[in-house]
Amino acid sequence: MPAKKKATKRQPKPASKKKKSAARKRAAPSLAGALAEAAWAEADQALAEALVESDEVESATSATQREAAVALMIQALSRAGRKRGLTRIGVLGAREPYDPAKHQLMAAVAKKPRTVRIAARGVARGGSILVLPRAGPVVRGRRKSGQ
Amino acid sequence: MSDWTLCIDFGTAFSKAAAAPTGAWSRFEPASVRPLRLSQHDARGNAFLLDSAVFVDDGRILFGRSAIARADALGGKKRSALKSFKTLLSVSDLDRALNTNAPLSIDPHRLFQMRDLIVLYLAYLLAAIEKARALDPMIRGRITRRYAAPAWRGADSAGLHGTVVKLFGEAEAFRTQAGEALLSDAGLDIDAVVKALPIAMEGAQPLDMGLIYEATAAAAYTSIGLDDSASHLLVVDMGAGTTDIAALARIGNRMFELPEARATLKQAGDFIDRVIANRALDAAKWAKTTDQKAGLWAELMRGMRDTKETLFAEGRASVRYRDHIFTMGLRDVERDKDYQAFAKELKASYEHCVAVVRDDASARGRSAIEAVAVGGGAAAPFIQALIASKNTRGARPRVTPRPATPDWAHAAEFGGNLAPVFPQLAIAIGGALAPDSMLAARGTTSPVAGARTGSPATRD
Repeated sequence: MPAKKKATKRQPKPASKKKKSAARKRAAPSLAGALAEAAWAEADQALAEALVESDEVESATSATQREAAVALMIQALSRAGRKRGLTRIGVLGAREPYDPAKHQLMAAVAKKPRTVRIAARGVARGGSILVLPRAGPVVRGRRKSGQ
Repeated sequence: MSDWTLCIDFGTAFSKAAAAPTGAWSRFEPASVRPLRLSQHDARGNAFLLDSAVFVDDGRILFGRSAIARADALGGKKRSALKSFKTLLSVSDLDRALNTNAPLSIDPHRLFQMRDLIVLYLAYLLAAIEKARALDPMIRGRITRRYAAPAWRGADSAGLHGTVVKLFGEAEAFRTQAGEALLSDAGLDIDAVVKALPIAMEGAQPLDMGLIYEATAAAAYTSIGLDDSASHLLVVDMGAGTTDIAALARIGNRMFELPEARATLKQAGDFIDRVIANRALDAAKWAKTTDQKAGLWAELMRGMRDTKETLFAEGRASVRYRDHIFTMGLRDVERDKDYQAFAKELKASYEHCVAVVRDDASARGRSAIEAVAVGGGAAAPFIQALIASKNTRGARPRVTPRPATPDWAHAAEFGGNLAPVFPQLAIAIGGALAPDSMLAARGTTSPVAGARTGSPATRD
């Protein structure tokens, strides 16, 4: 009896059709994949340059040299991001109404802040947010605390 | 009736191609847009870009990335690859230019005319297209071909159409003979080419291809799928060799160009490159000798694409050359006298075009005009500022800027991967999507631009 049940379970045709179409999908070269590869080819070059510059940062013998190498490293990283379609969210230093879905609070706070200041921009790709902007609460306590 | 339309964007630095199902314009689905992997045969770099280059070596003829690599390796020996065919195709007396011998630095054997080398490159391009097309299982059935070209100096592009399809026809005949050997890293044997090329060219028929203006292709991808798109569109196309402004009007299914709102400036991406390099050279006080200056210039030019992209995106860019690092800002570029003259001329030309488009839109009772920037310079802040500017000559109808990458390029089907490369592929994609009614010339027939507008296209 149980064997019979098993056999009937294997019967449905739609399942086998599904398998076929999945197999076909796997066999077909994906355009999205090829586009991603093309973007990566250019991003790889920029990432490689960023890695080399990171060594320059380490081995810099003066503050000026280090500053210049850091600038070049950031530039190469930004370029890699652009090649992959990454975009920045928010404006550095901007004050915005706090929204837990849009900001990552940097400090532990007892009370939810009403306004935050963007300390580091977030990163998005297409419609998805990869990293939320980092923000700190805006302290408007000077008058309140009487300092 | 064909099943697919394939458009070739014969670019100054790279060639691109894309296909779309015939009728995709009216039944648009983002997934049906198929950019072709023209450099799939070459593992180096972006698979969708085919380097526009031919190099005549000692015993071989090399194409694409192999040509550039070999020319770079022999850089000190006054040898160069033939590039920028597109610029050559823009000359007023094309037949004469094609029948000129290639310079010694390009062809030291004195075997080839410019026409031969262009035909050889086009054969390479057609071979790459054929291979890429076969790779994509979606592209099946009858294919109609077309190519995109700027509307150089009035109706010249349409006037040159006969010559261009003849060149493509000769290239197709040679491709049929040479086959996939064209795509090999080692290129072709010169003696074999010298024997086979004249025979192929002699019996060749013009290739059945349409012509679409680049501005029209931009209009096609910009307004597709938008029910609320404006009837009039201004296109600012900053390529490598020229900056073109064109205006298109769409009334019902008909799209036509407004010839009076067409402008071409001789300054474009290459000019901006030189301005940036000159400013950098001025700032590099340590570069005193001719050798030092030449070395720095060559290094700057090698990395110019990245430098310029960073400068446009971030407002400043740093460059490392040996143990020197220097940073320049957009303001440095804006201080350049030549740049200032160019910016002034560009603004005046754009304002003139806006005025013409406003008049036409008002006369037709339309209230909306859109502007879009395309080409390599689309991201330049001064180009974006130009299309976003509140025009001084009158205020209505309002001109609304559109993003260089249309919203549909962010569609889920592409997994976020089309948008970053879209600017490079845009013209080929727009050209494939555009309906036949947008063509400047069909098949091997003479231009239809004048017929399309209802008034003859004028020459400058």
